[in-house]
Amino acid sequence: MKTAYAHRRILRSVPASMKHRLQAGAAALFALLVIGASIYTFMILKHDPTLTDLRGRLLGASTLHPLGTDHLGRDVLTRLLLGSTQTLGYSLLALGTALVIGIPFGLLAGYRRGWVDRLFMRIADGFLAFPDTIVAIVLSGLLGAGIGNLVLAIVLVKWVSYARLVRSTVLSESQKDYVAIARTHGLSDARIMSRHLLPHIAGHVLVLASLDLGKIILLISSLSYIGLGAQPPTPEWGAMLNDSRPYFQSRPELMVYPGLAIVSVVLLANMLGDYLRDRFDVKKEAQP
Amino acid sequence: MILSIEDLSIRSRERTIVDGVSLTVREGEFMALVGQSGSGKSLLSQAIGQLLPSNLRAAGKVLFEGDNLLDYDLREMRTLRGRRLSYIFQDYQGAFTPFRSIGAHFDEYQKIHGEKSKTVRRDKAAEALESVGLDAALLRRYPFQLSGGQLQRTAIATALLLSPRLLIADEATTALDSVSGHRVLELLARKQQETGCAILFITHDWRHVRRYADRLAVMKEGRIVESGGKHRILDHPQHEYTRRLIEAAPVLGRSLRSGLEQEEQA
Amino acid sequence: MSRPISESRDSLFAAQTLAPDAQQGVGTADAYAAERAPVSAGALPPVLLVDGLTRTYAGAQLPAVRSVSFALGRGECLGLVGESGCGKSTLARCLLRIEEADAGSIMLGGQDIAPLRGRKLRPHRRKIQIVFQNPAAALNPRLRIEDSLLDPYLQLGREAKLSHFAYTSRDAYVRRLLEAVELPAELAGRYPHELSGGQRQRVTIARAISIEPEVLVLDEPTASLDVISQGAVLDLLTGLRRSLGLSYLFISHDLAAVHRMSQRIMVMRSGEIVDQFEAEDLFSEERHPYTQELISIF
Repeated sequence: MKTAYAHRRILRSVPASMKHRLQAGAAALFALLVIGASIYTFMILKHDPTLTDLRGRLLGASTLHPLGTDHLGRDVLTRLLLGSTQTLGYSLLALGTALVIGIPFGLLAGYRRGWVDRLFMRIADGFLAFPDTIVAIVLSGLLGAGIGNLVLAIVLVKWVSYARLVRSTVLSESQKDYVAIARTHGLSDARIMSRHLLPHIAGHVLVLASLDLGKIILLISSLSYIGLGAQPPTPEWGAMLNDSRPYFQSRPELMVYPGLAIVSVVLLANMLGDYLRDRFDVKKEAQP
Repeated sequence: MILSIEDLSIRSRERTIVDGVSLTVREGEFMALVGQSGSGKSLLSQAIGQLLPSNLRAAGKVLFEGDNLLDYDLREMRTLRGRRLSYIFQDYQGAFTPFRSIGAHFDEYQKIHGEKSKTVRRDKAAEALESVGLDAALLRRYPFQLSGGQLQRTAIATALLLSPRLLIADEATTALDSVSGHRVLELLARKQQETGCAILFITHDWRHVRRYADRLAVMKEGRIVESGGKHRILDHPQHEYTRRLIEAAPVLGRSLRSGLEQEEQA
Repeated sequence: MSRPISESRDSLFAAQTLAPDAQQGVGTADAYAAERAPVSAGALPPVLLVDGLTRTYAGAQLPAVRSVSFALGRGECLGLVGESGCGKSTLARCLLRIEEADAGSIMLGGQDIAPLRGRKLRPHRRKIQIVFQNPAAALNPRLRIEDSLLDPYLQLGREAKLSHFAYTSRDAYVRRLLEAVELPAELAGRYPHELSGGQRQRVTIARAISIEPEVLVLDEPTASLDVISQGAVLDLLTGLRRSLGLSYLFISHDLAAVHRMSQRIMVMRSGEIVDQFEAEDLFSEERHPYTQELISIF
């Protein structure tokens, strides 16, 4: 996963102002890509992504199939674009669910402290003990392979990091005088959490989430590649990579396309994360 | 005249922060430099010992016992600092390395300045701590085990260890509450009596100025607006800013601002 | 020269009841008489009456606040002076019910609020408000000034019938509050970090008085400000007390500031009130040795 951050090493040599513009550009590109791909797949889809045509398999590029067809005669471009919504969609689903579980957990633990905190955090520690890949493999073994179980596995592992992040932020913020004062203004605990504490968390969480997005995309793709994630004929990038493996000698571009897609989306997601981190840098903001 | 600052300016790339300041400290006197935060008084004091952050440049003359310190190279400056000139800062916690004992600080300090015998170093450290009213047993403690007042006393003991001629105290009591701040300053004044070293005391607290200073200078936005004897300035400020600054701070009012029971006969 | 201290120390109420204190430093024959006498020296009951308040932190051997009792008269400024760590901030937090006292009563407007919890406590919260030492920490850095100012009103203001800061529209309300603390109206849309320390402290004062409390606890309100802002904030506080008829518990380690602001002074040490006297009796021979030590420092 280290390679996912390769762009940082490259960016380090770039002047700060340009780096910001680059990151902002990448963030914009990322958004465009997601929107563009979904518009394309739903509005101007020419081919059925799962329709097999054994007579037209492994065709080269043509006007009808701009990137050719795969070993079952399916249009590669269509599958690639649909794959973006698949991979991204499931990644976002996993991320969103992890957030929905992690944030309230962390808020409550950090604000209430005491036994609530201790209980919550022991549970979280338990989950933290397992690496994500292992949990995914075990779950697939128990419940069967499939993208749903993969998402479940990711949620099980990822929510903990959000709960911990939120908790630590809330622990330090709720010590501050303005929270004490909010209490003297008669604000209920729920109100204090939503009005005074949640906005502090939002920045941190957004940054962590966008950095995580790259990792999750990579995880879904790699687990689909070894057959634990998306099942055929779903057009998922990792699975497509796996499908094209036997034709590596004759049609290497069939592996290059999904590979490039994964690399570029992960890279863009990471740059988006870096951009958000710089934007929401709390320390910078607090300086008078 | 132990220290004479002549036309000293401190500039960053964008602006001039201290602008043509001249200031003298006489042998053995307690000189106070008063000003609000951001007036440039701390930078001025740092420029004396070449302690300015690297993005700032000082120009002018800082004559210490006749030598211009701004011409000193790093090595010369290091031998001077501690021996002839030493500092106490506001941030007493930052003044000590957290994971080294108090004794280790004293030991290293003496070693750097050429004291070779280990027993002499130990005895001197114990003596120094006792001279500021602390138990020599504290040498084995770590900085976080001491209170703010104790740490600042230790800082004074360290600063006076090699009997410097000039001690620069930059807001040395600001971070302490008024009672322990007072005790620390009382100690400082007593040590001055004993050793006869001059003190340049940077502060915004009139209380300490009133009680201990011989002369004072008031600084505003990088310039000295007024300087002179304590009674003259406190009871008869010439400059409008000085007047405002004095009046802003409440005093326990039985006497004159300078602490005198009545006007001095001129 | 300094203006006479008596000018800044009298109040609407105290001016009628307290003897003019022209003779500074002359101790009265019975300095403790005032302590024993009813605070308001008249028909008005004290607005805050604290009795036997005690608070011990878990794991500590001695209580941080030990059996503290005092009365605060209507319109009065009562000073509380002591070193850091003497328990004065803990006392303030217990009065505000930010921390829970282990024992004692807090009579606020005739009602003991110490045993109240949750919904029962809420209506009483309006009557007592606090200003902390560090305004940077007391303002949520992510809320605009106007939102911070509105916070107390949203919860507590509707129930109260506000007269000084009547809520007609959001903008008018915020403007009126900023005006009361002598701040320009255009600060409303700014964030706390865009303001100076003195301005920020004025905002927290405006927020505290917005719901027209009866008691304002001032916990070292000037300790983090530079000298000139300190004087200005003290002047502002004195003006507000007179115009709004507020009662202050003024907590500070700065005896000079306490003496300037208060009609009566309490001295706290190691969690206990060791001395309590009229401000003009500060220099009396009968003061507690610790008080005399504090005086010698200033």
